[in-house]
Amino acid sequence: MSPTSITTRHNAHVDVNPLRTGIALALLLSAAFAVMTVGGLSYRREMLIAAARAFVQLIVVALVIAWIFTHPQGAFLYLGIMLIVAAYTSNRRIGGDNRDRMGVLLAIFLGAAATTTIVAVTGALEFSAQTLLPFAAQMIGGAMTTASLAGVRLRDDVHDQLTTFEGYVALGATYQQAGREFAKRASEKSLFPTLDQTKSAGLVTLPGAFVGMLLGGASPLAAAQVQLLVLIGLLLVQAITALVTTRLISPLPPDLGRSIAVTEAVA
Amino acid sequence: MNDVFVLDHVSVSYGTTTALRDVSMTIPRGGITSLIGPSGCGKSTLLRTLNRLNDLVAGARLEGTVTFDGADIHSPDTDLVDLRRRVGMVFQKPNPFPKSVYDNVAYGPRLHGSPIDLDGLVERSLVRAGLWDEVTDDLTKPATPLSGGQQQRLVIARCLAVEPEVILMDEPTASLDPVATATIEELTRELSAIYTIVLVTHDLRQAARISDRTAFFAAHAHDDDTRHGELVEYGPTAEIFDSPADERTREYVTGGRD
Repeated sequence: MSPTSITTRHNAHVDVNPLRTGIALALLLSAAFAVMTVGGLSYRREMLIAAARAFVQLIVVALVIAWIFTHPQGAFLYLGIMLIVAAYTSNRRIGGDNRDRMGVLLAIFLGAAATTTIVAVTGALEFSAQTLLPFAAQMIGGAMTTASLAGVRLRDDVHDQLTTFEGYVALGATYQQAGREFAKRASEKSLFPTLDQTKSAGLVTLPGAFVGMLLGGASPLAAAQVQLLVLIGLLLVQAITALVTTRLISPLPPDLGRSIAVTEAVA
Repeated sequence: MNDVFVLDHVSVSYGTTTALRDVSMTIPRGGITSLIGPSGCGKSTLLRTLNRLNDLVAGARLEGTVTFDGADIHSPDTDLVDLRRRVGMVFQKPNPFPKSVYDNVAYGPRLHGSPIDLDGLVERSLVRAGLWDEVTDDLTKPATPLSGGQQQRLVIARCLAVEPEVILMDEPTASLDPVATATIEELTRELSAIYTIVLVTHDLRQAARISDRTAFFAAHAHDDDTRHGELVEYGPTAEIFDSPADERTREYVTGGRD
């Protein structure tokens, strides 16, 4: 099936009625609130805030993407901002400093760029902002999760096995060289969630792109193709991002190992 | 230069806790210098200061100066990699790398640029650590199934392979049985003919048996329940054990002898 047949199927256009959507959302949210109240669950306020945030964010994003569809060069700006936000978010999770953040940024960029380039060059997805923007965005999102997992894992492993780490350092390894000995295992562990997700695709859950395309009116086979590009793409993203992250960030938290404070002796 | 390390008014603190206060001492080249004293007296802290491994402890701070071969090891010009290559370390708990026996020993030499004859260097290091005969057929097997005593000798071989000048030993026999302990002690004694060894030990008899010089550290308690370590007395081992000048040393060394 050619890519164009995905988007030009006569039933691919789905009418969404804002009023009916609004009514449904109001009912869903009220019901959730009511159920939580009856069940005595806390976090009702958080739920409302989360819903409000999702509402505002998605409307804004929709407007931005709609603008990009008419001004494709804006896609680079959008993805650039997304990349920076992803690096910030992931680095905060890892607890890194400015230098670590540059490493995380590069790791996310390399993973997402490699994958998107392959998909674009093969023509698997049409070379247009409409297709590549959401695809690249999904890859950046996946890379962000991987960078966080791999980075946190690396620091946890080093912390838990500090005597082994010290063994490398005591032989004259730099912290980075000693960290490399832990990078492989930390990278491997960060792959598990997506490996599971990929293995169980369609069995345990229907993945997001697949559901979205079905709702949008695409045929199940077309939806499966796009979902496969996303899932397999994420495997490449992960491998690259995990390996690069664990090698570029410091294996130690910023307050350790950089230098010891020395003051003059009090004679 | 005959003094390998010179410590001048050295205090080490972790955050707001002072671990070691105002220590001045020199460690001469060759032989074994033992650091003894009760828990919390700062002897391990002092040892880890000598190869700057305390850099890896959160909030570690040092006052005073430590020189190695005449150079201030805390100067911004210090090459940490070079310092740690020249000052090796053996840890309390054997910490073999999750690699083969061969790769454990070859790690250091590879790190610092593979020598032409790596196989020979690995063999020589294992021979010198007294482990060669036991692992000859298992060089490519993982190091982790080795016994505690073998692991510790592997760690010593790993350290020897980078050809250090000093070996810091942090209670190297604390986790070993008496037979393995005797082997490590004998090995340490042999190595002290070639290397300068600084040994932290809880075992007074070990210090008395194998060391040339002994430094006794005490934990000084404060009213607010905190304490800091300080150097009480330092001299030839026989002197420290047989005719200590300080009452605290006398109490400690006689109490420890049953």
